[in-house]
Amino acid sequence: MTSPAARARAHAAQVVDRVRAGRTLDDALDELFGHLPAGLSEERSLIQEMAYGAIRWHFQLAPLTRHLLDKPLAAKDSDLDSLLHVGLYQLLYMRVVPHAAVNETVSATVVLNKDWARGLVNAVLRRALRELEMLRERITSDETLALATPDWLLARLQAAYPEDWRRVAMAANARAPLTLRVHAGRIERAAAIEKLAAGGYAAHPVETVDSAITLATPAPVDALPGFRDGELSVQDAAAQLAAPLLDVRNGQRVLDACAAPGGKAAHLLERTPALQLVALDVDRSRLARIRENFTRLGVHGDIVHGDAATPADWWDGQPFDRILLDAPCSATGVIRRHPDIRLHRQPGDLERLAATQARLLDSLWPILAPGGKLVYVTCSILPEENRQGVAAFAARQPQARPLPLPHPALAQHARADGLGYQILPGTADMDGFYYAGFEKSGTGPA
Amino acid sequence: MEIPRSGPIYICIMALRTILHYPDPRLRQVAKPVPVVDDTVRQLVDDMAETMYAAPGIGLAAIQIDIPMRVVVIDISETRDQLQIFINPEITRQDGKQVFEEGCLSVPGIYDEVERARHVRVKALDRHGVPFEIEADGLFATCIQHEIDHLNGKVFVDHLSRLKQSRIRKKIEKQERLAM
Repeated sequence: MTSPAARARAHAAQVVDRVRAGRTLDDALDELFGHLPAGLSEERSLIQEMAYGAIRWHFQLAPLTRHLLDKPLAAKDSDLDSLLHVGLYQLLYMRVVPHAAVNETVSATVVLNKDWARGLVNAVLRRALRELEMLRERITSDETLALATPDWLLARLQAAYPEDWRRVAMAANARAPLTLRVHAGRIERAAAIEKLAAGGYAAHPVETVDSAITLATPAPVDALPGFRDGELSVQDAAAQLAAPLLDVRNGQRVLDACAAPGGKAAHLLERTPALQLVALDVDRSRLARIRENFTRLGVHGDIVHGDAATPADWWDGQPFDRILLDAPCSATGVIRRHPDIRLHRQPGDLERLAATQARLLDSLWPILAPGGKLVYVTCSILPEENRQGVAAFAARQPQARPLPLPHPALAQHARADGLGYQILPGTADMDGFYYAGFEKSGTGPA
Repeated sequence: MEIPRSGPIYICIMALRTILHYPDPRLRQVAKPVPVVDDTVRQLVDDMAETMYAAPGIGLAAIQIDIPMRVVVIDISETRDQLQIFINPEITRQDGKQVFEEGCLSVPGIYDEVERARHVRVKALDRHGVPFEIEADGLFATCIQHEIDHLNGKVFVDHLSRLKQSRIRKKIEKQERLAM
């Protein structure tokens, strides 16, 4: 019989390779797991750990692999290069028996149908094992390697956070906790924690975010008591601030302008069920996710397909009392959950994203009722998409009055920049998020 | 490292054997029990272990190297240093069910789910011909059952649907043509 441990390494290498070719890590893993039998939970978690790890440390493993290879591999052998990343990740970061890890990784070449590379993979990984201390020294003495962050992003972080850019960059390499949102309409937070504890899952409340609990050790969410019944959802604590910050009341017309997969919209409805909520998204294929979430959570809103930048195509002419704009962004605040972002984001993306964010703000502003409020959210930590974007918007729209957002989580854990609030990743175990609020002055139509 | 110039030289006479590939009819033979565990059998066991480690595999039956005798070697350890030898193995008890994605050194490149017993009790002879019994579960249980199947002329793909089997045969024929 063939070795499942070797196969797991080959699978991890294939996932890493697909991510390097442009797929998202989640998609690549889902695709693989769709083909694996359901019973293989151990093998799955091993594959997941190795694939996440190799992607998380990509900007460290890639140069180290180049250094260990006498000559670079041909483009058609990128899977072997990815296998070497997976091998190196195990040696540097996983608690494995080193020689066993090398053997299984060498064996993975056979699973990849590249038996000819056994000697090569063996030689590279044995060399890595011999030079492990030197490799570690190399990592600590080189900032780009140590932080595993591409130079362009590091430069932006340096400019934005001259005091603590190292810490900000390094926070992206930490593992994020599994944070859950408790459905306020279905169960009290304390009761949900007790129910989890009874099921063998230790969980604790997030102090400043009243709906959030954190699981002590990550677990498959489907198995959590209360998840299937819609008492719990997976959502970072920082993302759970959107609903309370929008400050809604029953009966109000509320627009979630970029709603998929529907977490923030559902949270609004869990807290305030009698909203007239429109959950809009430009990506038709993702509307189903919103519907699934609404159904599981037993909440009701209008799910609408449309581009928030062109309200004429979908708006019924009735102004909204509240608008939540969770704008498309670089996602640099959630790299710790989606390490592939660092591979896929290009420096040029920022200008394009900032332009989109400005266009969305300008298109939505006219359909906000006078006296209404708009909350702008990103999961970015770059001022180009946050402070600079909302400052320019406020300058363009004299009716947009910056709104203080009083919330204990922001007061204690965010940096206020005069217009908005920046939560940095890892602060109070949260993802990096930016929030800014605006109120529309005047009583007549805009 | 420098090779020591003095001292005795030990010569290893283990040998890598060729593994038969499905659908080779020789894989369909029912293997014969080992009458006496002697040096020839121990040599066979050593060759099988070397062949299994080199393949690499976690289990190998003698029939896979064209020796129709009831001999199995298994090592499911991560460290690859926990060789287990089963001569004339027999399953004496089994219960439960589990599904593993299996692969076989005789069916290269094919992996599929097979349902087998979750726990088995096996009796066999060790490399000195001494009888022993062992309990196995999880991957170990699946592997033992997979290898004992070989001794009875069975391959893991026999557990799959006819449609899958014919697809696998076509895929392997194509692979072998390309390899020639």
